[in-house]
Amino acid sequence: MHEFLAQLVNGISLGGIYALIAIGYTMVYGIVELINFAHGDVYTLGSFFSLAILTALGATGELHGSVLVIDVALSLVGAAVCCGLIGVLIERLAYRRLRNAPRLAPLITAIGVSFILENVMQAWKGSAPLPFPDVLPNPTFALGPVSVSMQQLVVVALALVAMISLQIFVSRSKTGKAMRAVAQDRQAALLMGIDVNRTIAITFLIAGVLAGIGGFVSGVYYQSTWFLNGFGAGLKAFTAAVLGGIGNLPGAMLGGFSIGIIESFATWKLGGQWSNVTVFAILVIVLIVRPSGLLGRRTQEKV
Amino acid sequence: MACGAGQSRMAMHLSRSFRALAALLCAASVAACSHSTSSSGAGASPAPAAIKIGIDLPLSGADASVGRSTLNGMLLAISQANAKGLPGKFKLETMQLDDAVQGVHSPEQGVSNVKTMIADPSVLAMLGPYNSNVASAEIPVTNGAGLAQISPSAVSDGLTLGADAATLRRNNPAQNAFFRVCTTDSRQGSAAAAFALKFGWKKAYIIDDDETYGLDLANVFEHDFAAKGGTILGHDHIAKNTQDFKSLLTKIAATKPDLIFFGGTTSTGAGLIRQQMFDTGLGKVAFMGGDGIPDIATVAGPRADGTYYTLAAPNAQKLPSAQAFIKAYEAAYHKPIGPYSANAYAAAQVAIVAIEHAIVAAGNAMPTRAQVLAQVAKTTDVRTPIGPISFDANGDVKQPVLSLYTIKNGKPVFLDQINLK
Repeated sequence: MHEFLAQLVNGISLGGIYALIAIGYTMVYGIVELINFAHGDVYTLGSFFSLAILTALGATGELHGSVLVIDVALSLVGAAVCCGLIGVLIERLAYRRLRNAPRLAPLITAIGVSFILENVMQAWKGSAPLPFPDVLPNPTFALGPVSVSMQQLVVVALALVAMISLQIFVSRSKTGKAMRAVAQDRQAALLMGIDVNRTIAITFLIAGVLAGIGGFVSGVYYQSTWFLNGFGAGLKAFTAAVLGGIGNLPGAMLGGFSIGIIESFATWKLGGQWSNVTVFAILVIVLIVRPSGLLGRRTQEKV
Repeated sequence: MACGAGQSRMAMHLSRSFRALAALLCAASVAACSHSTSSSGAGASPAPAAIKIGIDLPLSGADASVGRSTLNGMLLAISQANAKGLPGKFKLETMQLDDAVQGVHSPEQGVSNVKTMIADPSVLAMLGPYNSNVASAEIPVTNGAGLAQISPSAVSDGLTLGADAATLRRNNPAQNAFFRVCTTDSRQGSAAAAFALKFGWKKAYIIDDDETYGLDLANVFEHDFAAKGGTILGHDHIAKNTQDFKSLLTKIAATKPDLIFFGGTTSTGAGLIRQQMFDTGLGKVAFMGGDGIPDIATVAGPRADGTYYTLAAPNAQKLPSAQAFIKAYEAAYHKPIGPYSANAYAAAQVAIVAIEHAIVAAGNAMPTRAQVLAQVAKTTDVRTPIGPISFDANGDVKQPVLSLYTIKNGKPVFLDQINLK
């Protein structure tokens, strides 16, 4: 029982990171029907920006008090903002002109952008995995029979706060309404006076911000980063988005957490080499039973 | 790109959904093509009296730090030989190819590199690769072409021993073209098990990366550790490109091990596992591996301390025969030697001595690959920084030496060494 709960906590933490990335896939797909393969690399870029900011602030080891709060906040916000802007830039430079081109063109462009980002990161910090400073004090708390570490709490809390605020933003704000309108019918939205380009840019901004938060979180959680991490994590997150029903926000979150937990339990019960097999086997089964994903049909609206 | 054109022509006849897939494959293969051309840097134009030595190592990506220091060892031996002069006024040149694709050593890229070398008739011998899985893909090719191949570090047993080796030599079963100056996994795994028990670690949990090298090493360790009275708590394999080991380590922590043994390399998981051990209550437990993890501090940072590893080589710093090499290396590259620099230097020396003998045997004329290969097989007591090297019929060194290191304050500290027969 104790180990079950410990593995559940591991799975939820891992799932929080997947969910943060999965939202970016699902939002972009929802609004422009593009599988943005570069998104996983934006996430890695997030951990690179956090690392660069922490290094610039001189944070190499565990921090305390106000220094901790300031450094962590700067690193988190800095990574989120930079990744958001990178997302907007990618959309502006690579995807916007291809918006009315055949589907395959932006898809291949996305793969190209992914390679470009990977190689930029490789040129920037080198091709070896990088240690990430262990800034967060990591005491463990006893929650009933299970112990939860500070890092895990931070991962899950950040993921939840980001996702809930996003959900509120999309469902309540005017921009959120515009996003849903563009997702449903771009032409009609344009006729209603919605600035489609701006709305799509904001979608990429939000996706980038969440990926940046994910990058920061992964750096703190694993104390390491590598320029190719985005490939594997992106693949899992994309799977999470499909599992939950691509284009559906709560679906991406559900998918992310599910995959994290499945992976964790598969490693525990079946062994590490079976974790990917299990995840994808479950994906296949779910898609056979529900082709549009777990939450794919329940809501008509995309975004 | 020829491959790209072929695929898109094919795609015309396919249904729409398959087109996307074909395009994806195309993008991937174009990326691979461009990688190999950009990395085949130093290919000099063939001079009339030039003999080339092919070098295949991971020179980019996660293995680059060890790859580069290994390359430097080889280049040092070659430049010294050129300075001294070869019989017949021949000059040695190199063809350096990178077998890492997208940051990770790739058997497919290794095979393509070896084919590039074979296509150039002035390449008479090759050095490398660094990794065992790359070697096992390359051996059938060099064996078929009769190109002498000497690896500084590929330690998997099956490359030279038993039925696996026979399968690798299927193209030309009568001939062996693969040699190595390091020892084998089984000797390394046995040595690691002996060291572990000597330190009083009785209960071990084993993890491996499911690659040729890591799996062999882990299996031999498991066999020997159990045979000598240790308890094996479990043995897990990990999937490629895993970043999260917390679930696995949580499971391991529940078994309360004295030691976690890892078969694999820093890039295939050792670095992240060592780091995450501290997050799962295993920070004080010893972590041990083979010669795939000397660079673990580059990933695990300060948490690398408390890692133990064996090297399939004697401690070059302690060998009198190595002092001149170390001085020359540091003078040439302004860096301390890497874990396999001395082996690399020795591998290059063996190739150079064989080429020199072959030139003389051919009457100071350009020798053939077969002549060079025959000379490599006859290698006897070549004096190298890792001791005198002679090959047995399998292509393995006679009388190997293994050493044990630990990491303290991010630096390797030599602990012990043993001689195996």
